[in-house]
Amino acid sequence: MKTKLLVVLAGAGMLLAAVPVWAHHAFAAEFDEKKPLKLQGIVTKWELVNPHSWIHLDVKGPDGKITPWMVEGGSPNSLFRNGFTKESLPEGTEIIVEGYRAKDGADRAVGANLTYAKDGKRLFMGGSAPGAGGDGK
Amino acid sequence: MRRHVLSSLIALVAVVSLASTLAAQAQVAAKPAPAAKAWTMPRTPDGKPDLQGVYSNATTIPVARPANLGAKEFYTDEADKAASAAAGGRGGGRGGAARPAAAADPEGNGLAVHYDTSQFGLGGPTVKRAASLRTSIITGPEGRVPALTPDAAKRGAERRAFQQEHQWDSAQTRPLAERCVTWGFEGPPMMPVGYNSTLQIVQGQGFVSIVQEMIHDTRVIPTDGRPHAPAEIKQWMGDSRGHWEGDTLVVETVNYNPLVSIQGAMVSDVAKVTERFTRIDADTVQYQFTVDDPKTWVKPFSGEYNMVKIGGNVYEYACHEGNYGMANNLSGARATEKK
Amino acid sequence: MRIQSGKMQSRLTKWSVVAVAGAAICLLAVMPSPAQAPAYKAPKTKDGKADLNGIWQAMNEANWDIRPHGASQGPVFSLGAAYSTPAGLGVVEGGDIPYKPEAAAKQKANYADRLKLDPEVKCYMGGVPRSTYMPYPFQIVQGTDTMMFVYEYAGAVRVINMAAPTKAPADSWMGWSNGHWEGDSLVVDVTSLNDQTWFDRAGNWHSDQLHVIERYTRIGPDALQYEATIDDPKVFTRQWKMSMPLYRRMEKNAQLLEYKCVEFAEEVLYGHLRKQPLKGDSK
Repeated sequence: MKTKLLVVLAGAGMLLAAVPVWAHHAFAAEFDEKKPLKLQGIVTKWELVNPHSWIHLDVKGPDGKITPWMVEGGSPNSLFRNGFTKESLPEGTEIIVEGYRAKDGADRAVGANLTYAKDGKRLFMGGSAPGAGGDGK
Repeated sequence: MRRHVLSSLIALVAVVSLASTLAAQAQVAAKPAPAAKAWTMPRTPDGKPDLQGVYSNATTIPVARPANLGAKEFYTDEADKAASAAAGGRGGGRGGAARPAAAADPEGNGLAVHYDTSQFGLGGPTVKRAASLRTSIITGPEGRVPALTPDAAKRGAERRAFQQEHQWDSAQTRPLAERCVTWGFEGPPMMPVGYNSTLQIVQGQGFVSIVQEMIHDTRVIPTDGRPHAPAEIKQWMGDSRGHWEGDTLVVETVNYNPLVSIQGAMVSDVAKVTERFTRIDADTVQYQFTVDDPKTWVKPFSGEYNMVKIGGNVYEYACHEGNYGMANNLSGARATEKK
Repeated sequence: MRIQSGKMQSRLTKWSVVAVAGAAICLLAVMPSPAQAPAYKAPKTKDGKADLNGIWQAMNEANWDIRPHGASQGPVFSLGAAYSTPAGLGVVEGGDIPYKPEAAAKQKANYADRLKLDPEVKCYMGGVPRSTYMPYPFQIVQGTDTMMFVYEYAGAVRVINMAAPTKAPADSWMGWSNGHWEGDSLVVDVTSLNDQTWFDRAGNWHSDQLHVIERYTRIGPDALQYEATIDDPKVFTRQWKMSMPLYRRMEKNAQLLEYKCVEFAEEVLYGHLRKQPLKGDSK
């Protein structure tokens, strides 16, 4: 396991010298490619922060128990430039997350694909908010 | 009688200036050389060229020239550029927006175990980029970073060996970008970033300030002729001094923190970067740079790209404040070691 | 000279009184009343606005505690007198902060746990208004339709929009600033501040409803008066105001230097996740 970790991160070591921005952090250390998951839950909070945004959602298990999860997404800044705002993903929205679970076993995941439970459409689809024109320009 | 002639002349000049400004604003594409057209440089109230605005310096031009292009600095036209890309000629190094083909990527998201950057509009088609026919950001017949000096190669090898051994020891042994200290593209020289490649320039009396969105790093450059700060003060973005040469802002930067890398090599205490900013039309600022560090590269190298006005805003990128990833990564590393 | 007749004398006296009174009134008009600073005429930039360009810094104890307070022990005994709270007259007009009762309790809890909770310890950006009076300089770069306020602490930056006001898409550490001139005062309306910052090291706090209106006014060749009106209906019973002078960093070739400070906060934030924990708490 330790060897594998080092092999996977050999890339990260070389990245010290030339960091491609899409791999500015070692996701392989944070999330486990052997633990793909699919979550369906209700958005409780959308943290519009950098370097990654985080969607908090309440996921109801088969036993009816609610578990809060947090799901990592991209920098929100381009969303802002495309007219999206903090109102674009309201609390109470039901979404589906396809992603990978945290390596340390926490209820945390990276969201490789985010869709609305209602109609399967991707979140922030089309790259521009409907009626975008915000921020004064 | 003379007064009438003078006021007519003034009116004529004003009309011509307005016409050429309007004509310039209709164009977005910037030509490789400063265009020879009737266009008036806008000026700040103290008479200096007005470089102010919010810009994108995003680009698809690679930093280093594709090897098969040899000494070719410019494509002949867009068709030539497209043909070259189709033939598989791709450059390397940082600065381009091209993503690597991922090994395990069943979702086609570009990288396994990662959020989909396109879902967040990062580096995608909504990003404005200056048009350019350059084959590489690095200029000249070679179009690539020169060879390292033996000393620099040794420094780099030692550093990589250290990182391989200690990379998960602590926050302090992680890359600067992951620590949210610097992203590595702020420079100087300022390099295009894969996403949020945005910057804003504001000019005040005796200073030019530049904020780069990644990662809210702000340079405040004195243009009043003062000397550099003492060399004991080493900074992540070095110490910059600017002056005007005609209508070009020339900025010289020295005294980099020893952990700073430029194009993959850690710079020495004699590194000097020179930048030149020239507005070439209403929407475009031409940006040129030269990196000179005789202890690191066998010769200096230069680069050039254009930044295009996008208006809007630079948004806050509070990297350190939101850096859950650092704790998560170290926690993940500790958990993995226990297995 | 012959002695004036009685009638002339009384007229002269009357006019003398009027003249003296008139002179006194004129003097009062030009002398500053005790309550306000002299009306200093700020130099103008080339586009006719009061010139706020420069490197400025507060010289007071507000970052320790914005209220009037006596000297007290700091949270780290081993730092002794080097990191204990000096007394301060306070910068809050009226002295006390009008907390709602439950909000006042939270301030006390913040204070009790300030070593762990103060965002300054973690090198988190100071927000508004605290960034103004932290013990580091900040620089105003005055463009025409935009101004940049650059803070040495944590390399924080605010872009002040001087054109038609715009709206923020989301909250941020340094907020969203729309500015305009009222005479020679710069007035900045700051909204969309997140709830993560404090007003000082004493745990004085606010919610994400915080709305700050700042005023910057030149009061001399090397001083600015800074005023900030604070409005947060979740936390306070009413609006309140703070006020202080800011002083120009006058040394030759004064410049902002880097205090990114992330490197200095990593041990406190991530030290517990080290492969080999460090021994002790100091170098």
